[in-house]
Parts: sequence; structure tokens; C-alpha cells
Amino acid sequence: MSEIFESPFFGIALSIFAFWCGQMLNKKTGLLLLNPLIIAIVIIIGILLLFKIPYEAYQEGGSIINMFLAPATACLAVSIYAKIRILKENWLPILTGCFCGSAASMLSVYGLCRFFGLDDAMTASLLPKSVTTPIAVSISESRGGVVPVTVVAVIFTGILGSILSPLLIKLFCVKDSMTAGLAIGASSHAIGTSKALEIGETEGAMSGLAIGICGIITVLLSMLL
Amino acid sequence: MKIIKQTGIIFTICWLSIIIQQILPFPFPSSVIGLLLLLLCLLTGLLKVSHIQEKSDFLLSNMAFFFIPAGVGMMNYFDILKENWFSLVVICVLSTLITFAATAFSIRLTIKFINRRK
Repeated sequence: MSEIFESPFFGIALSIFAFWCGQMLNKKTGLLLLNPLIIAIVIIIGILLLFKIPYEAYQEGGSIINMFLAPATACLAVSIYAKIRILKENWLPILTGCFCGSAASMLSVYGLCRFFGLDDAMTASLLPKSVTTPIAVSISESRGGVVPVTVVAVIFTGILGSILSPLLIKLFCVKDSMTAGLAIGASSHAIGTSKALEIGETEGAMSGLAIGICGIITVLLSMLL
Repeated sequence: MKIIKQTGIIFTICWLSIIIQQILPFPFPSSVIGLLLLLLCLLTGLLKVSHIQEKSDFLLSNMAFFFIPAGVGMMNYFDILKENWFSLVVICVLSTLITFAATAFSIRLTIKFINRRK
């Protein structure tokens, strides 16, 4: 019986079906909390537990989907390249902002993890949580973190950022579009960027640029820490 | 054929980045090497965006889908999450606020600095 689930087609088809459900629900309700990725994960875990399908059987297909993460990360270069002119014109504020944001993120996570007495594996899983998932996952992996915890923390941070960013812009009196966009991108990566795009075009472009730059800076910083 | 060619280009970059990762004397994620390698190819004109446009649009716009298997792995760590959920939530909220503030204030200072020098 269990052989039929061990075909990679099962895991891939289930993932596509679950993601499709997630996007439908997200569009219908328009709720940020109903993130398509979260819904898909919940549906798949539910189905695996309900039918007692082993996780390893699902991963036969899952590992094939996983393989696409590296090429997808590489393609972030295309979105950085598309904004190369803005980057050249404002390189100093952009680089300082992304550097300070990434450093503040890692140091605050590190400090809070110590404060709560979390172990090294948990700290490593949370450390890169403000950067885009593919980069966060590779940092977490190389430092001995628990990759699924990283994925959950990254998505949660993104949703949090996109809900809070309009409030934070007011709270910190951010009037400049470039500053607002970079701060959103630095604190809440791609999910925040979709919110930044709603606020304005410059905010969106800047937020998108911050994803790639903060990702690279965080990798470099994580080698030092 | 177009998509196959574009996939070929991107996968070659990913494979080259794994080779570079093996050569580097320190650990560095190969996916980020791929990002830098592709950026370098675009900046030097070795590759044009049109060479990889469709494939890269496909990969970037469906990015969330590729994380599903990694997220499903969560089911093996329910006990850790249950045990630490409160500290996880507090850490995420506080550090998101701190990151936003640090980015916004450092840019504000930099812009002030640039304007003063002008």
C-alpha cells in the first residue's frame, strides 16, 4: 500500500494541489494571515497525518521541488540587475541601510535567543529570519539550524512586517519613499515587498532591492558571528 | 526549446556555483554564489536578461511554492515548536521592529550626512 505514495509524482501533485488551494483561499478572503504557503503546508501535513502517509514518502517528490530553490535564489540577481540604476545613484544610503538593518536583525535575534535560553540549534534557525527564505535556509543549514523552524520564522516575520509596516512608517515618521521601502525590505523580505508595492512604486522597488542586498550582507555577517 | 535553453543556462550557473563552493576555503551558501555569479554575468554583458527572462520570471513569481517541502518538514519538529512558541513569537516581533527602526534611522543619518557635505 505504501509504495503508491513513494512515487515522486504523489508529493509533487499534492504540493501543487495544496498550493493552488492556498492561492484560491488567499484571493477569496484577501487576508494576509492566510498566506498561500502556510495554507499549503497545513493542508499537506493534515493529509499526511490523516492517511498515515510517512513523511519520507512525501519527500520523494518534495526533494525534487526543493531542488528549484537554488536556481530561484540565483534569479534574485535579475531583480537586483533591473534596479541597478537606482542602486548606482543611491549606493551609500542603500548599502548603509541594508548593512545596519541586517546587523540589527541578527544581533537582536542573537540577544533575545540568549535571553530566552534557547539552544544553539534554535538560535541558528532564527538568526537569518529577516532575509528571504532561500538565503535564510542556506545560512541556517550551514550553522546547524533546524530548517523547517527557519522557514516558519521567515514566513511569520514577513507577514508580521507587512501588517506592521504602515504603522511603523507613521511611528518612526518616515517621510521618504526610499527609506520606507528599504526598511520594509530589510525587515520583512518578499512578503513585506508585496505590501510595499501597495504603498507605492518607489517603496516596492526599494523593498525588492533590499531583499537581495540584505541577503548577501547577512551571509557575510553570519560568517563573522 | 527556448525554455530548455534558459533552464540550461540557469542550471549551469547553479552547478558552477557548487564547484566554486567546493573550492572556497570557507563555508559559503552555493545558492548565494549562484546569485553573485549571475549578477556578474549580467553586469559584464556575458548574459542578457532576455537570455533567461521567462525562466527567471517563472522561478521568481513561484518562489513561495518551492518552499512547501521545507515547510512540511515542520511536522517532525512539532515538539520543539510547542515548547518554544512563546519565545519564538516574541523574538520575531521585537527583532522585526528593531530591524525596521535600524534601517530607517541609519538611512536618515546617511542622507543628512550627504546633504551636509554638498
